Amino acid sequence: MSAIDPATLTVVHRRLKAITNEMSLALLRSARSAILSEARDFVTAVFDAGGRLLEQTEHIPVLAYALPPAMERVIQFFAGEIHPGDVILHNDPFTGGNQCADVKVIKPVFHGGRLAAWVAISGHQADVGGAQPGAYNPGARTIFEEALRIPPVKLFEAGRLRRDVWQLIFGNVRFEELVEGDIKAAIGGVTVGERAYLELLEAHGEEKLRLYTDELIATTERMMRSEIARIPDGVYHARTIACHDGFDPAAQMPVNLHLTVTGDEIGFDYAGTAPQTQGYVNSPLSATLSSTMLSLLMCLDVRAMPNNAGRLRPIRISVPEGSMLNPRFPAATSYGNHLADQISAAVFQALAQAVPQQVTAGWNPTHSALLVGSDPRRGKPFVDILFMAAKGGGGALHGHDGYDHIGSIYTAGGVRAQDPEMFEHANPMLIHRYEYAPDSAGAGRWRGGYGVRFEMEFLAEVDYISVIGDGTVGAARPFGLFGGQPGCLNEIELVGPGSRRHRVAAKEVMRSVARGTRWHQTKAGGGGYGDPRERPREAVRREVQQGLISLERAAQDYGFSPGSLADEPSR
Amino acid sequence: MSGYRIGIDVGGTFTDFTMLDEAGRLAVHKTPSTPQDPSEGVFDGLRALAAAGSLSFHDFIARIATIVHGTTVCTNALLTRSGARVGLVTTAGFRDVLQMRRGLRESRYDNTEKAPESLVPRELRSGVRERTGADGSILTPLATDDLAAVAESFRRHEVQAIAICFMHAYLRNEHEVLAASYLRQALPGAFVSVSSDLVSRIGLYERTSATVINSYVGPALSRYLTRLQRRLAEAGCGARLLIIQSNGGVAAPEICIRRPATTVLSGPASGPVLGIDVLAKHGCSDGVVVDMGGTSFDVALIQDGQALFTDEGAIDKLHLGLPMLQIHTIGAGGGSIGWIDGGGLLHVGPRSAGADPGPACYGKGGGEPTVTDANLVLGYLDPGFVLGGSMRLDGGSARHAIATRVAEPLQLTVDAAAAGIFRVINTNLAAAIREVSVERGIDPRRLSLVVGGGAGPIHAGFIAQELGMPMVIVPRHSSVLCAAGALFTDFIHDLVRTHLGVLVTLDWPTMEGLAREMHTEAERTLDAEGIAAGAREFRWSFDLMYEGQHHHIGVPVAAQEFARRQTREILARFHQTHDRLYGYSLPEKDAGVSMVNLRLTAIGHVPRPALPAVPRTVAAPEAACKGSRPIWLPDANSTKEVPIYDGERLTHGHELPGPAVVETGTTTIVVPGGCILACDASGNFLLTPASHPVC
Repeated sequence: MSAIDPATLTVVHRRLKAITNEMSLALLRSARSAILSEARDFVTAVFDAGGRLLEQTEHIPVLAYALPPAMERVIQFFAGEIHPGDVILHNDPFTGGNQCADVKVIKPVFHGGRLAAWVAISGHQADVGGAQPGAYNPGARTIFEEALRIPPVKLFEAGRLRRDVWQLIFGNVRFEELVEGDIKAAIGGVTVGERAYLELLEAHGEEKLRLYTDELIATTERMMRSEIARIPDGVYHARTIACHDGFDPAAQMPVNLHLTVTGDEIGFDYAGTAPQTQGYVNSPLSATLSSTMLSLLMCLDVRAMPNNAGRLRPIRISVPEGSMLNPRFPAATSYGNHLADQISAAVFQALAQAVPQQVTAGWNPTHSALLVGSDPRRGKPFVDILFMAAKGGGGALHGHDGYDHIGSIYTAGGVRAQDPEMFEHANPMLIHRYEYAPDSAGAGRWRGGYGVRFEMEFLAEVDYISVIGDGTVGAARPFGLFGGQPGCLNEIELVGPGSRRHRVAAKEVMRSVARGTRWHQTKAGGGGYGDPRERPREAVRREVQQGLISLERAAQDYGFSPGSLADEPSR
Repeated sequence: MSGYRIGIDVGGTFTDFTMLDEAGRLAVHKTPSTPQDPSEGVFDGLRALAAAGSLSFHDFIARIATIVHGTTVCTNALLTRSGARVGLVTTAGFRDVLQMRRGLRESRYDNTEKAPESLVPRELRSGVRERTGADGSILTPLATDDLAAVAESFRRHEVQAIAICFMHAYLRNEHEVLAASYLRQALPGAFVSVSSDLVSRIGLYERTSATVINSYVGPALSRYLTRLQRRLAEAGCGARLLIIQSNGGVAAPEICIRRPATTVLSGPASGPVLGIDVLAKHGCSDGVVVDMGGTSFDVALIQDGQALFTDEGAIDKLHLGLPMLQIHTIGAGGGSIGWIDGGGLLHVGPRSAGADPGPACYGKGGGEPTVTDANLVLGYLDPGFVLGGSMRLDGGSARHAIATRVAEPLQLTVDAAAAGIFRVINTNLAAAIREVSVERGIDPRRLSLVVGGGAGPIHAGFIAQELGMPMVIVPRHSSVLCAAGALFTDFIHDLVRTHLGVLVTLDWPTMEGLAREMHTEAERTLDAEGIAAGAREFRWSFDLMYEGQHHHIGVPVAAQEFARRQTREILARFHQTHDRLYGYSLPEKDAGVSMVNLRLTAIGHVPRPALPAVPRTVAAPEAACKGSRPIWLPDANSTKEVPIYDGERLTHGHELPGPAVVETGTTTIVVPGGCILACDASGNFLLTPASHPVC
C-alpha cells in the first residue's frame, strides 16, 4: 500500500476514463446510423490483458456489464493466437454476447511485443441479417431466424483485412452500406483507444500501471462493498411479470427474484423464473447480468465510483439454465435487453423492503417500433426507430418526482430523441403531436415522470413495422410504491384511411401499412411514490392548470372535489 | 487613433479594465463586481482609471473614444433564472419540445438528478393551428382565432416577452411573421423574438431553445445597456460602446438588444482573441488559450489562427443553438476544493469555495482545503505578496484545512497531501485541454498554450510538461485576459440558412437567392454599425455530411468557388476534413454528400491597436531577483530553495532557468525545472523546455 501514491491513482483513473470518452466521441461523430450517432446506443471499454474491466463509458447501461463476459470468451477462444493489429468481431449471445444486434468490436493492445490490454466497443447495428430487418423478429423460435450468428471472428489479422470474412459478413446483412460504415467507425473508435492506452503505458511503465490498476479495482471494490453494507442484511423476495412471448399475447412469464444481502455482499437468485419461452423473449446471461447491475447501481451512490471490475466483485448472480433469463442454445433472444424492464422492477421491489428511500417506483416499459420502407420523395429506402415516441416517464423516488420523457430504464436517459424536423426529412411521415401525455404519470406524494403522446401520419405506404415491447395490459403497468399509483399503460393504435382502427399488441409485425394511416401512441408515465393525498396541493393544482392532470384524475387520485380547483381536497 | 480605448470584462468576482491611451500606453485595473447593478462597478473602475492618470473624472470620460464591453448580464439572468416572464408560441402539438430537451438525462444511475427548470412553464407554452411541411408547403393555414386566445392568455399572465417558433419555419416563415405582427399589436411593449429571424436553421428543439433564451434575457440586457449608455452620456462620455458577443466579435448595442442571445457567452469570449494575437506574434497559428480563475477553467482551441465555433453549445443544460466560440469550461480554479471519496480516492473540484468564504488561507472562515491553499503550502504563493501585497494569506489555516480533510484520512504528511491536490488539479486541467484537442484528432504536442487568469500561470508550466506542449505564453496582462482581448475584437455577425439537398445536384438558384438575402442582411447590419466598405469581409461556409450521417462538418467556401459553383473543390475539402476528424472518408461517394446549412460570417475589421513594447536588454536577470524561498518540485518529489523574481522588472531579452518563481502585481508564474522563462518584446513571458529553447 505504501507504494501507491494517491495523486497518481487519481491521475491513472482520469486517464482511463478519458480514453473511453475519446473512443466514444470518435464513434458518435462519425457513425451513420441514427441508432449510434443520435440515440447513442453503444458503450466503450478498456480491459487489461487478462480481461478485467478497467473503465467504461456507457451511454446505454444495459450494454455496459454485458461486455466483460464477451471479452472473457474472446480471450479463451483466441488463446495463443492474438497478434498486434487484430480486430475481432462478436455478437453471439451463446458465447457471452447479450443481443445479436449489439455487435462487439474488440482490439488487442500490444506493448513491447506483449499483449498489454484490450479496447472494445459494443454498439447496436441497424441490421445483422436474419429473417427480418433490424434483428427484432417476434416470429423467431431460434437464433437462426434472428440474425447472422458471429461467435468471435477476426476481421483483421495482424493488421491485414480478412476480405473473405468481411464479405461473408456484409454479404449477409441488409443496409450493407450503413452497417459497413458503422463497423468502420467502431474500428476507428477502438484504434483511438489503442493509441491512447499506449500513451498511458509509456507514461507510467507496465509494472507501475499494473500496480495502479490493481489498486483502482481494489478501491472500487471497497466503495461498492461499503455501499452494499449500508443495506440491512436479509432475504428479499419479488416477482414481476413479462407479458406476450412473441407468439401468445396472453402468455405471462414471471421473473422471480430472491435478493440476499449478507454484510458487504449481495446475491441475486432468479430461481422460479419462467422457463425459456418459445419466442424471442429470452435474456442471455450477459443481458441478465447487465440489467441486474444497472438496477442495483441506481439504488446506490456511485457518482464518484470508478467503473471497473471492482464493482462486480461483491455480486453473486445465480440464474437457472434453461430459464427465460439464461436460455439454452438455440433459443431466440433478441428481446432480451428489454427484460431489463421486469428485472429492474424485481430488484426495486425487493430492495424497497430493505432501503425504501433508495429505490424508484416502476418505469415505463419498452414499447417501440422499427419502420422500414421506401421514401417516394427520394426513391430511397428508409429505416428508423421511433425513439421519440418511446420516451415514457421514470419512476418516482422518495423526495423526487419521476423524470419526464426519459425512456425505458435500459437507456436511463442516455438515448436522445430525434428532432421532429429532422425526422420528417428522413422519413415520409408527418407528426401531428409530440407532447407530454396528460394523466400518464402515476399519482403519489412524489408523482411518476410524464410519458408522451405521439401522433403521426404516413405520407407513403410503410413496408414493414416491427413493434416490440410490453406494458399494454394491466399486470405490466409501471408499479407504484408505498401508496403511489401505477403509471398508465403503453398503447399504440393505428387508424387506417377508412377509419379502420387497429390496437397494436405489445409485440407485433405489420406489413404494407397504407399511406394516410395515422399512428397514435401513448408511452406510459412512471409509477408514483407515497400517498397522493400527501402531495402538496399547490403542486397538484399547478399541474391541473398546466393541463397535465385532468379534473377527474385530480379528484380520483388526489382527492380534490370535482368541479372546482379552488376547493380543498376531500379527505 | 484618437482618444482612449477601454476594455471592460465584468466577471462574477472582479470587473477587469484595460485602457490604451493615445500614446499607446496600457493601464490595467481590477475592481470588485457589483452584481445588483454591474454599471456601478464599471463606473468605479472608470473613476479609478481617471485617478491613476491624474485626471478629473470629467476630463477622463471625455477622452474615451471606444469602450468594448464583455457582460455577464445575460449569463447571470440564465444561471439565476431571473430573466423575463416569457410566453412561447409553437405549432399545435409541439408545446413541450422546449422542456423535453430531446429526452436526455445527463447521468445514468443518479435518479435524484433533476431536469433543469424550463425557462417557460407549460401554461405559458401555447400551440396554435398552423403547419408548414418538410417541403416548405403550407399544409394548414395559421388560425388567427388561436392567436387571439394566446394573446388573451399572455395578457392575463402578464407576459413580458414572447418567443415564436413554428415547425419548418426555416423553410418558410410567413406564419411566424404573421403571428409576430399580430402579437406585437396585441401586446405592445412585449419583447418579441421570432425563430426564423434569429436563427433560420433546421432543428426544432435547438431553434426553439435559442428563441426562448433570446426573449428570456432580452429585457434584462436591454435595460442594462440602456442604463449604461444613459449614465455614460450623462457623465459627458461621447464614446462608442461596443458589446462582445459569444462569437468573440463585437456588435453595436442596438444590434445586441435585438439579438441578446448572441451575448450569452460574452464574458469569456474575448480571451481567445488576445490569445490568437500573442500566438501569431510567435509564429503560431495553432494553440490553446486557457483562463483559470477562482471557480472555472475555460479552454479554447485555436486552429489556423482562428478560434473554433460550435452551435451545439449549452449553458446550465439549456441549449443555445447559436454559433458561439467553442469554449470548454470545467469546474477547476483556485477555489476548487480537495476531498476524499468513500474508497479513499482524492478528488479536486468541481465544487469551489468561491470568493466567499474562499480558500481557507483567505481567513474568511473557509475550512475546506482548496487549490490556492495547496499552492500556498507548496511555496508557490507568497503569503505576503498577493495582488501586489494588497492581500495577505494565512498559511496556518491552509495547513490546518489540508491536514484535517486530506492528509489525515490518507495518512500523508501535509506537504504530500498538498502535492497530491496540486497533481490532481493539474491532471484535471490537462484532461480539459486533451478533450478539446484530442477529441478533434489534434495532438497537443503541436500546440502552444496561452494562459490567463489569476491562478493559471502557477499550473501552466506543469500542464504543458504533462501534455508535451512546446511553449507556454503568459501574456503581460494575463490576469485580465478578457479585458485585454476586448481591445482587439472585430465586428462579427453570423448568419445561417438551412438548405437541404445533395451537393452535386444542388438547386443553385435557390441557394444563391438565400445567399443574396443573407448578404443584404449582413450589409445592413454593418451599415448600421458604420463599418467602411473596405473593412468588410464575408466568409461563406457549407455544412456538409455524408447522406445518412447526423453530424455535419462546416467546410469553408471561397466567394469565387461559390460564384462559380465549384462543387469539386468543395467536395475534396469535405472528404479531407472528414478524414482528419474521424479517421476515414469516402471519396468515392461524391453523390452521397448532403448539404445542410449555408452560413455567412460577416466581419467588420477594426484597426488592431499596437500594445506597448518593453525595452530590450542584454543584462542578466539577476537584478530582478528579489530573494528565494523553498517550493515543492513535483519531478524531484522534494522541496528546494529557488530564486524569486520580480516580473515587473523583467524585460525583453531576459532569460532565466527553472525551477524559479516570477511574481508580478497580479499573477505568479511557476517555472518548472527543465524549463526556461524568457520575456518577449511585448513583455509577455514564455516558458519553453530547456532542451528546445524558444526561437
